[in-house]
Amino acid sequence: MEQNLSNAVSILVVGMITVLLILWFVVIIGNLLIRVTNKYWPAPQNEGKTGTGIRTISSGTIAAIMAAVEAVTGGEGKVTKIEKE
Amino acid sequence: MQDIFSNLFEMTALGAISYKTVIMWIIAFVLLYLGIKKKYEPLLLVPIGFGVLVANFPGAEMGIVDASNIELGDGRYKNLFEIAHEYGILNFLYFSLIKTGFLPPIIFMGVGALTDFGPMLRNLRLAFFGAAAQIGIFTVLIGAILFGFNLNEAASLGIIGGADGPTAIYTTIKLAPHLLGPIAIAAYSYMALVPVIIPFVANLFITKKEFVINMREMDKKYPAKREIKNIKAVKIIFPIALGTAVAIFVPSSVPLLGMLFFGNLVKEIGTSTSRLADAASGPIMNTATIFLGLTVGATMTAEVFLIPKTLGIIVGGFIAFALSVTGGIFAVKTYNLFVQKKINPLIGATGLSAVPMASRVANEMALKYNSSNHILQYCMASNISGVIGSAVAAGVLISLV
Repeated sequence: MEQNLSNAVSILVVGMITVLLILWFVVIIGNLLIRVTNKYWPAPQNEGKTGTGIRTISSGTIAAIMAAVEAVTGGEGKVTKIEKE
Repeated sequence: MQDIFSNLFEMTALGAISYKTVIMWIIAFVLLYLGIKKKYEPLLLVPIGFGVLVANFPGAEMGIVDASNIELGDGRYKNLFEIAHEYGILNFLYFSLIKTGFLPPIIFMGVGALTDFGPMLRNLRLAFFGAAAQIGIFTVLIGAILFGFNLNEAASLGIIGGADGPTAIYTTIKLAPHLLGPIAIAAYSYMALVPVIIPFVANLFITKKEFVINMREMDKKYPAKREIKNIKAVKIIFPIALGTAVAIFVPSSVPLLGMLFFGNLVKEIGTSTSRLADAASGPIMNTATIFLGLTVGATMTAEVFLIPKTLGIIVGGFIAFALSVTGGIFAVKTYNLFVQKKINPLIGATGLSAVPMASRVANEMALKYNSSNHILQYCMASNISGVIGSAVAAGVLISLV
């Protein structure tokens, strides 16, 4: 039993350090990705001109329209302008 | 005439019903009642309960047999046709889908396709509390050895503290397959009891002053250093990058985490892989859940389940669960000693898996103290990191035990 206990204590130490290390990676990788994407691939801003109506459409609606167009056109179609009648 | 009645009696199961059989039926009925009426984890407790029931019909030969029955020696085993022919369909399913460790990673793929890493990416510092909440796994490992479990059994018992059903099953298949039934039942029962266990532990250790810590006000007072300008790109790259890092450091956790990240990736890519994500989180996961539940239930025959160790597993599992919640709470308390931007300790309590129930319960508790203190998104951050943490802990146990 003593051997088992000694093993269990080392597993406790190694296990907690490993879990902490991996979740530290989560933080490091997450932060790194946010920095890189912010710098090199920021999401395109809505380019609607004043008066075109796009600014009055919620971002959720725009996302739904873009997803629908992408699905229907198999990814080839692109939303360039959204107008409200 | 007497012969006819004698043969008729022998044809039925009446002569083979013992008190142990009746106890197992009662356990099956309780599990079915909890799943159907009380709606405690019904997707799992109903198939598990029914599996227990069919496994304990005398003469039906639906119970899972000991692995030694299919060994031929020299590392060779009976083929699946022989297993199906000799031991029935549930043994065929068990040895092909469970014993091979196939179904838990498949379920993890579905979980990945249902998981949104967004809340965690927006609150990355909260991910650390997913580590603290794994303490229950390793402390109960030591405790179980003191109570006479061997190292493999103790590790399988401890993993209940991760509050993750597939992880507990996967670890037990690898380390102590003879305890699979009781450990799966304990893991899923305590996950179903999250609305009871988290408030119980939280009320013991969290003060009223801590309960009312408002995360949104803290965010306003101490805003994040940077915003995320392209969350979609981050979400797509994240499972690939993290999966690679995890594979390098804890390769034994890859069957679970690799599938989790794959499921998440096909979800985040969007419309071009949406069919894969739908399949992973829908039909595949549902099918896997049915077979997992039925076969795990069928491992619980009277000979395997009605032993003193089962009681140890039930008690040890609760302690592991409660210690994990406590570990998360105290990690937040300790963190709060050194920072100005305080964190509500309820967020630490959700550092175990049990997504999203643990987060929902913590959110409801916070709302009781302050109706405007919505902490769900923050809880989800540590809750999701808890899924990763428990799978890593399982990988460590499988590697080192």
